[in-house]
Amino acid sequence: MQGYVRPGNSQPAWLFPFIVISVLFLSVLPLARLAMVGIAAFASGGVIDVLSEPLLWQATYYTMVTSVLGTIISLLIGCLFAFLLTLTDIRGKGPLSFFFVLPMMIPPQVTALAWVQMSGPSSPLLKALSLAPPLGSPQSLYSVGGIALLYGVQHAPLVYLALRAGLMTLPRDGVEAARLSGASSLRVFRDIILPLSLPGIIAGAAISFVSCTGNFGIPAILGIPASIFTLPTLIFTKFSAFTSRTFGDVAVLSAIIAMISVAGLMIQDRALRGRDYRVIGLSGANAAFELGPWRLLFTPFLWTILFFMLAAPFFALVAGALVPAYGVPLSFKTMSLHAFQEILFRQAVTRTAFINSLSLAGATALGLLVVAVLAAYALARRRDAVSRIIASLIEIPYSLPGIVMAVAFILVFAAPIPVLNVSLYGTIWIILIAYFSSFFAVSLKPVVSAFHQLDPALEEAARLSGAGFFRRLFDIIVPLIAPAAGASVILVFLIACNELTISALLWSAGTQTLGVAIYNLDDSGSSDLASALSVLVVLMVVVMMLLLELLAKRLPKGVVPWRS
Amino acid sequence: MKTIVSAAALLAASLFAIPASAANLVLYTSQPNEDAQATVDGFMAANPDIKVDWVRDGTPKIIAKLQAEIQAGNPVADLLLIADVVTLERLKEEGKLLAYKSPEAAAYDATLYDADGYYYSTKLITTGIMYNTSAAMKPASWKDLAKPEAKGLVTMPSPLASGAALIHAQTLAAVPGLGWDFYKSLQANGAIAAGGNGAVLKSVASGEKAYGVVVDYLPIREKAKGAPVEFVFPSEGVSAVTEPVGILASSKNAEAAKKFVDYVLSEKGQEGFLKLGYIPARNGMKVPDGFPARDTIKVLPIKAAEALKNTDQDLKIFSGIYGSN
Repeated sequence: MQGYVRPGNSQPAWLFPFIVISVLFLSVLPLARLAMVGIAAFASGGVIDVLSEPLLWQATYYTMVTSVLGTIISLLIGCLFAFLLTLTDIRGKGPLSFFFVLPMMIPPQVTALAWVQMSGPSSPLLKALSLAPPLGSPQSLYSVGGIALLYGVQHAPLVYLALRAGLMTLPRDGVEAARLSGASSLRVFRDIILPLSLPGIIAGAAISFVSCTGNFGIPAILGIPASIFTLPTLIFTKFSAFTSRTFGDVAVLSAIIAMISVAGLMIQDRALRGRDYRVIGLSGANAAFELGPWRLLFTPFLWTILFFMLAAPFFALVAGALVPAYGVPLSFKTMSLHAFQEILFRQAVTRTAFINSLSLAGATALGLLVVAVLAAYALARRRDAVSRIIASLIEIPYSLPGIVMAVAFILVFAAPIPVLNVSLYGTIWIILIAYFSSFFAVSLKPVVSAFHQLDPALEEAARLSGAGFFRRLFDIIVPLIAPAAGASVILVFLIACNELTISALLWSAGTQTLGVAIYNLDDSGSSDLASALSVLVVLMVVVMMLLLELLAKRLPKGVVPWRS
Repeated sequence: MKTIVSAAALLAASLFAIPASAANLVLYTSQPNEDAQATVDGFMAANPDIKVDWVRDGTPKIIAKLQAEIQAGNPVADLLLIADVVTLERLKEEGKLLAYKSPEAAAYDATLYDADGYYYSTKLITTGIMYNTSAAMKPASWKDLAKPEAKGLVTMPSPLASGAALIHAQTLAAVPGLGWDFYKSLQANGAIAAGGNGAVLKSVASGEKAYGVVVDYLPIREKAKGAPVEFVFPSEGVSAVTEPVGILASSKNAEAAKKFVDYVLSEKGQEGFLKLGYIPARNGMKVPDGFPARDTIKVLPIKAAEALKNTDQDLKIFSGIYGSN
């Protein structure tokens, strides 16, 4: 343990070991356990049975196809919005950006439910408008194309945010020089902006691809009725035919998902390697292009896309919650608030789910903040190989699909904990620990970047005046990083609140999350109740995002993701 | 360090104000959410000192959840109220159930409960055919679903998601003239099998499909609410499950669990099921509106012991015909 306290660095001796132990527990332990069970299954020959199942290869194929198509769709939509909202003088950037990021914050199964209600012969909305297709028409969303389309809609904001960050720092000089030499707008875009924005596009594509491979809500609602299984939904159905082999089987399946996502991230690495994108000059190519008369075309175009991505599905969801019985056309006469009454005043699961989701999200956001501040302090002050390894270990669980982490934690806690002899499986704590592991990186990012901007002189001065570690932490550091910490808390809270992939495998009686409650209601055929609960969740998300928007003026730049 | 840990623990503890008092029953059930809530509310009104948490999922899924919990050494459920006696018979043989002789059993036909008191049937749920009122054909027999008029328009629940669907497949498979060949002919006619009974109801009521194999109470209840659906008891007969209730041997609240069993078997509990649109299992009860008299319903026989023995094989056969879902 030598060398933990360095000259000019007065971290308490316990700080770094504490961070190392936390990371070992949250990242290394579950993944090592997953690897062990996988290897044990290999050794006992169980893997051959799993690998020889045609269903597995079919699921791998569907996972790849839907994810690749979904990534392409999300790139198209995300890039369109990013270029138009950062580089042109289009009107209404604020609202456009806010609404465009909204789908990312809404649980994927709600998105899927809304789109199903919006189209096909069962759509209460289309029935009310007498546009519904005839009896026996298949629901066209129950297909590979439908899953890919919704992946695209769900993940386009991720591409948008990744690309936008890069576009914000484009050098203005290059664009101006080209203009002065008489280059057309198209030429400037093709020869200067596009090459320089490649890293953002590639990063966005990689994030989108990995999120697609791990998505559960969309293929669960759109794929299962058509027998299209992706790897995450296959893992889920493995648990609904539980045998003594199940744990080994899902370990192998998770390993395959993990390999696909890691492959995606490696391709991203390869694509960016060997290129140098450092540019000098004034950044901020704001309004590099004047749209002029084109504005009349682009503004309605963007709002139309948003209408189909957000407004139409939301109205369909509301319509789906107001029908008195399936197949009854919705009109002012037939409209009924029964589903809302049932959800709000009768179903105990609603209260349970809201309490669970909000307290899980709150505990995850605040608990992680404490760990993240300490970890950021330790990592920002030490810049050696060990701290780099720790930083990448924190990243891993976040870059793996949630279902993989959920399986890993089931394996860790499937047997009662030795010594203490308590079992966490089937309690709320296992969900909390899995959230801690999965969202640690989200929480850490803004805090670390705030630490890097701190002037160490302030803390040094306090230390020389004899202030202890906690005194320095609370009086100097915390106030300075408060805005970033606030952003970290809100982001983790929003993500954890709408999470389904992890809790779909870990929930039990009394520990249902909102995501699980909505999925189960729809699964039991009560799609009116599922829609009603979804409407409440969407309203909750919008209120939270509006709060963040109101706070945005007091936060540092770049904290609220959708604002410039 | 200690201060941080204890502060974090306190914070977490304060957020999780989820009561874990002794008289908390956990019920695993396969009833739809609204019905499960109504059953539990009725019980809690009769026993205000007992709080019931419940979880709903298809019978096979809920049993899988229970098995996973048992393997992890933490079975959460005290009680099961699920589709069929075959599943409970298996749990009884594995020694997972608790025997309880309910005084209410006197009002029940002896074939409807386990002689040692491991489980009790609570209602009669038959599986027949529902159709959308705008469908061209009015089906009267199971074989009508294999006719060209129904091509690509039939949907049914999957035995992997629904306990009633498994019993139904095992029942029809043993009927001369139907059997697995009937299921093959349905598949050849473009029928799909996915999800539970709720999904079938939604699909037919909304016109995605025209005909559905489904449990009786769902379409009869929805029709009363104005949905464009009809339910028929096919001429060959219907399969039936009896939604039994049983207490788990691992239950830490066996006394409260026994009260729950007594309640669902009592006249009051059975009245509640009747109101929800189920045929009560108790002797001398009425049938819900929209049902024919109980003695006119032709229930096809099923040999429980054989069904139990063949479950895995039958699931394989079914999955083989319909792809694995």
